[in-house]
Amino acid sequence: MIPFVAVVSLRDQESRTFRLWIPLFLVWLLLLPLGIVLSPFIFIACLVCRVNPLRGVAVMWQILNALTDTELDVEHRSAGMSFHIL
Amino acid sequence: MSEHRRQIFEMLSAGKITADEAERLISALEEPASTKSSPAESGSAGKNPPKYLRVQVDSEGDAGQEGPTKVNVRVPMQLLRAGVRLAGLLPAQALHRANHAMQEQGIPIDLSRIKAENLEELVEQLNDLSVDVDQKEAGTKVRVRVFCE
Repeated sequence: MIPFVAVVSLRDQESRTFRLWIPLFLVWLLLLPLGIVLSPFIFIACLVCRVNPLRGVAVMWQILNALTDTELDVEHRSAGMSFHIL
Repeated sequence: MSEHRRQIFEMLSAGKITADEAERLISALEEPASTKSSPAESGSAGKNPPKYLRVQVDSEGDAGQEGPTKVNVRVPMQLLRAGVRLAGLLPAQALHRANHAMQEQGIPIDLSRIKAENLEELVEQLNDLSVDVDQKEAGTKVRVRVFCE
């Protein structure tokens, strides 16, 4: 399943934590019409690069699906940052 | 709460061990219990394939100036597999340039000879990967751990 939400947590020196929930599903909804509009150009670019466009789309879809559960934490004494794709 | 776990928390609160050490001790406590509870899993069925590749970097920093820095990255194995498939789509020109750049850096790997099935095998072999790097420079100690879980 493609990721729907990304959570970004930021911690400052006073240990105040700001948590930001990014609704990725809205991003996908916005990108979908853009992808449809750009699809002829993507198709031509794939042909120029000698890449099977269907295979390319399939791989990009797999990457999008696999992004779920990716996690990145950086902790320092003065600040911290956490990024989690749900 | 078990007695062992209580002792670990007491040592943590007394400052005798760090939070990382406490976490490791607790996971070591839990490990035999989980293997005891499911002997069938550890038998013929074998261990479950790992789902994530984890990279942990602990930098202790110099005395009080920088402070410790911890980086913890968890990448799903599925993402690695998909990335491998993406690498298989790279056009020949791009592969040639990548090969050239890698050879300039002293890495004699010909990417054009790596096929999708080889890369799949490579990702499979990552299951047993565990890399620990300890580096101690002037005032800074860096520990890098790469493992699958």
